[in-house]
Amino acid sequence: MGMAQSYAVETHGLSKRYATGVLAVNNLDLRVRTGEVYGFLGPNGAGKTTTLRMLSGLLRPTSGTATVAGGAPGSPASLAQLGAMVETPAFYPYLSGRDNLRVMARYSSVQKSRIEPVLQQVDMTDRARHKFKTYSTGMKQRLGVASALLKDPQLLILDEPTSGLDPQGTVEMRELIKDLRQGGRTVLLSSHLLNEVELTCDRVGVIARGSLVAEGTVDELRARSGGQALLVRASPIDQARRMLESLLKPDQVQLRDGLFTLAVGPSQAAAINRRLVADGVDVTELRVAEQSLEDVFLQLTEKQP
Amino acid sequence: MIASLRADGLKMRKRWANWIMVAILLAWLVLLVYALLYLVVKTQPASLRGSQVPASVLIRQIFPENFIPTVLSTAASIGAAIMIIFGALSTASEYGWSTVQTILIQKPGRTAVLGGKGLALFVATVLISIAALAVSALSAYVVVTVDGSSSSWPAATEIVKGFGALILQLAVWAAFGAFLGIAFRSTAAAIGGGLVYLFVGEALLGSLFRTAPVIKDVLKLLPGINASGVNGAFRLTYTNPSNQVPLVDPTHGVITLLVYLVAFTVLSLLIFRRRDVGGG
Ligand SMILES: Nc1ncnc2c1ncn2[C@@H]1O[C@H](COP(=O)(O)OP(=O)(O)O)[C@@H](O)[C@H]1O
Ligand SMILES: [Mg+2]
Repeated sequence: MGMAQSYAVETHGLSKRYATGVLAVNNLDLRVRTGEVYGFLGPNGAGKTTTLRMLSGLLRPTSGTATVAGGAPGSPASLAQLGAMVETPAFYPYLSGRDNLRVMARYSSVQKSRIEPVLQQVDMTDRARHKFKTYSTGMKQRLGVASALLKDPQLLILDEPTSGLDPQGTVEMRELIKDLRQGGRTVLLSSHLLNEVELTCDRVGVIARGSLVAEGTVDELRARSGGQALLVRASPIDQARRMLESLLKPDQVQLRDGLFTLAVGPSQAAAINRRLVADGVDVTELRVAEQSLEDVFLQLTEKQP
Repeated sequence: MIASLRADGLKMRKRWANWIMVAILLAWLVLLVYALLYLVVKTQPASLRGSQVPASVLIRQIFPENFIPTVLSTAASIGAAIMIIFGALSTASEYGWSTVQTILIQKPGRTAVLGGKGLALFVATVLISIAALAVSALSAYVVVTVDGSSSSWPAATEIVKGFGALILQLAVWAAFGAFLGIAFRSTAAAIGGGLVYLFVGEALLGSLFRTAPVIKDVLKLLPGINASGVNGAFRLTYTNPSNQVPLVDPTHGVITLLVYLVAFTVLSLLIFRRRDVGGG
């Protein structure tokens, strides 16, 4: 552990081949920076859960290594700083939500006094005395998050926390996730839903067929595959080009048929427009490229030969 | 280890199924051992006519002087079955509910998680043993009082040894059940397998082949046969010729049971420590 540990999760060549022969995770190099909300995005069956199980010490990698919250996966040092909810939240059906948290608090040697605050944080105080088996999917997920928060961990791993939730529950869960990063906590969140990571994550890793196929901010991902871009028509063209190339990296600027294609996200549109106008360039058209992030995602994850 | 002992204790205490099993064991002792034998001896002496022991002697089985061998013979049958179910439920349920993954991402390592569970099972075994002894003693006291007869209590050393013998065999059965639960990861398979073994493997084969030359030597290695050997050290105060002489002597029994206890524990740990969770 260094003084300033820059990665909360770091894997090298992480692979998992199940006994059935399925190569679920293939040579994965993942780096989750400390303090960020990282979206682990991939279609069903891509290997997200398998990866998160390895990071939590539940599965042994077939090969490769990982450091999670400063320790080897599953080691006491790592577990002490890790809160996780992998796949469906699993608790004792005959115990109340509160008693389930008591059990987990005992395992983790966490003070009993932590229980009420985490229940409150996930808005489960009212239902905490009811048995787990009576909970709806949304309540189970929230209890799962509460349990992951008991240790007040530096790293939180949430595997598809909105899966199975109704729209209302999904919105609430996303709001909750935004709060979870408070205090510099790192959140590693998996999802098969693009707009979910777009709404909640700083950076995204896209996994397909067990391999990481792209990584970066949502804007970068759009730009990299040419999917997300700003289209700008401006005159005089030469002056606009000089301006844009000094403003962005040269390879982010393309000119075709008098139309600039800028490999940046829509968040930069206003700033770019302002600079051009301030420089005396007339901006006659400014819009976001048609191809949606959904298309990019499909393009990244679709089956390749 | 202590953390997971406390966690498992809480789970065990709050689980109705566990209390129901304890209640069955104690009710069995009171109703089907003490009350039933008393009623039979008192109301149906004719049905005992074939017995080599007269009813007036047979009733001494449920007097205080024999409460140790009586509780031990109950432990060897229904007690064993209850403890197999108890142990199997405590481990297999964690797989059935997938809670094994939730507890393995808390703080303790796998050895501590399972070690804590083992300790919790052992504490429960001790408490169940105390309860069974107490209920047996109380029933015997009630019987002898109601009957207006006189009897005496076994010596304190005898009670302590009986307590030890009870704990040892119940612990072996609980460990067997827990081991099956981990091996099969299924409550039904663990309980089914354990009970079939107990009633077919031990009880049936044990009575069919107890004199067969080679098989007899194999039988001497089985936990149930060895538990009976240990129980043979606690004699009834009268002789009943129809009671079988155990295949093994008490020392052989104690040592073999201890070996089983260690073996089930070590095997469970080996599987539990190495196996992928959620990986099929
Ligand atoms: N226990 C298992 N045994 C064998 N194959 C599995 C097991 N769990 C998952 N898989 C396979 O591994 C691949 C990745 O699954 P998973 O990690 O669950 O993907 P995701 O979480 O991204 O949907 C899939 O092809 C899945 O069928
Ligand atoms: Mg999954």
